[in-house]
Amino acid sequence: MPKILQQSLFERLADRTGRVLEFLWSGWAGLAALCLLAAVWQAGHEAYGPFILTSPVETLRAAGALAADPDAWTVGLKTLQRAVTGFALVAVVGGALGIVAGYSPATMRLASPLVTVILGVPPIAWIVLAMIWFGGSDATVRTVILVAALPVVFLGAARGIVTRDRGLDRMARAFGAGPVRRFVSVGLRQTTTTLFPALALALGTSFKVAVMAELLANAGGIGGALADARINLDIANALAWVVISVGLLIVVEYTLIYPVKGELDRWRRAAQPWGIKR
Amino acid sequence: MASGRTAMGDKTVIALNLKGVGHAYLGRTVLDGIDLAIAEGEIVALVGPSGCGKSTLAHIAADLIEARAGRIDRGYRRHAMIFQEPSLLPWATAEGNVAFSLKLAGVPRRERAGRIVETAERVSLLPEDLKKFPVELSGGMKQRVAIARALAVRPDFVYFDEPFTALDVALRRRMQDLVKETCAGGQLSGLFITHDLQEAARLADRIAVLDSHGKGVLGVRIVPSARPGWDDTAVFDWVQSALKHDPLFRHIHDVDERQIA
Repeated sequence: MPKILQQSLFERLADRTGRVLEFLWSGWAGLAALCLLAAVWQAGHEAYGPFILTSPVETLRAAGALAADPDAWTVGLKTLQRAVTGFALVAVVGGALGIVAGYSPATMRLASPLVTVILGVPPIAWIVLAMIWFGGSDATVRTVILVAALPVVFLGAARGIVTRDRGLDRMARAFGAGPVRRFVSVGLRQTTTTLFPALALALGTSFKVAVMAELLANAGGIGGALADARINLDIANALAWVVISVGLLIVVEYTLIYPVKGELDRWRRAAQPWGIKR
Repeated sequence: MASGRTAMGDKTVIALNLKGVGHAYLGRTVLDGIDLAIAEGEIVALVGPSGCGKSTLAHIAADLIEARAGRIDRGYRRHAMIFQEPSLLPWATAEGNVAFSLKLAGVPRRERAGRIVETAERVSLLPEDLKKFPVELSGGMKQRVAIARALAVRPDFVYFDEPFTALDVALRRRMQDLVKETCAGGQLSGLFITHDLQEAARLADRIAVLDSHGKGVLGVRIVPSARPGWDDTAVFDWVQSALKHDPLFRHIHDVDERQIA
């Protein structure tokens, strides 16, 4: 077996570990930003009092109490499940439509005005419609997520295909790749440049819209818990639920989107001088 | 070999035969009535002013574009192509790029590593270069990887689509030498598209001149490359005298900016 292959497994492993550590190390910056936010929050608390704005510590304590409560877990997981399935739905539907539109100018021309229409309709209107169609169920939340995040995923996928390097297509064809092969090995890969930022945006939208739809459709989950907190004027609990929903989003984003993106963007990092990588 | 190179006699095996090939973009005829035959083991350079449809013809011959008219007979087993831009996959390492063509050629996974190392050696790519991404490579190195990608599949016919136009003079010479060395075995046939007559005379066995408006091949000249002492001076002298005395080459340096490829 040639030498370069023997080394490669160890090297690849070392490379990957290095990248993971580097990524974790960059977490300090995120932590610093969160501390800054907490400081501003604390200042607001001291200025307006606990009834308007509970202190960050108090909020975290409330969140901790919720974390110890199995019922709260059920509530949180319900929203998580709805947001993630809704996101998966929009990723598949929007991605597929976008790719088709990217390859077919006619579809693009038909789809663009529709995207504008969908963008123009406020999500709240969709919530009302979905409530009438599906009642207070998972389907309501998923439908609203799908409609709210579809345009951005669609445009991200389409843009990636439209702006692809046609020279690579030609090259693949010259070496005997059929249309399917060309799409899988060359086209799809180039879409990721624009598709991934769109997916990250869509994931954030999914969580926000899920909570909103739950609150308005009275469908339980974190939105339902927020509605309860509003009725009881329980600021600490309301803020704790907000913290939890943001926390869930961060967990999903960093376990689902970023590892894949990091793996796909290795070559981009290779181009950077080491000083910029941090 | 010499017999195949010079006269296209009855006994030579034809690697590529174009008969009456024509093409049009949006109703505008760019190629018409092109006849060209390339024998096995022979490199034919196709020259002509820019915008005359040389690249289009190569793409038609390599089945990247469908011809609107004419007949194309491909006698070779497998072709490869080297483009003007390296056209490397930016997300794959040099090794991955060479492996891409092997994968498309259906070479089993366990054989690929050996083939990559072997081909990399042929084009003087070092093992550490193979680990790099295209963004980390210079223009010349990228083109080397592109050549390696083409040679790795062991083609018996190579399309060169102005492969060295974007390189500087010194680098271009090195790449030409590389092509000369790899083709020296005589198993390789090829169609070399270029607008540089010097390059054509250095590399090819015959030079075909395409009409400025793509209306057929104006003529074919045999390059006396088999002659002893066919060095750079001889090439230069041959090119100078050809440009001066041979009416065939009169228009190859004409430039019409309005004409688009």
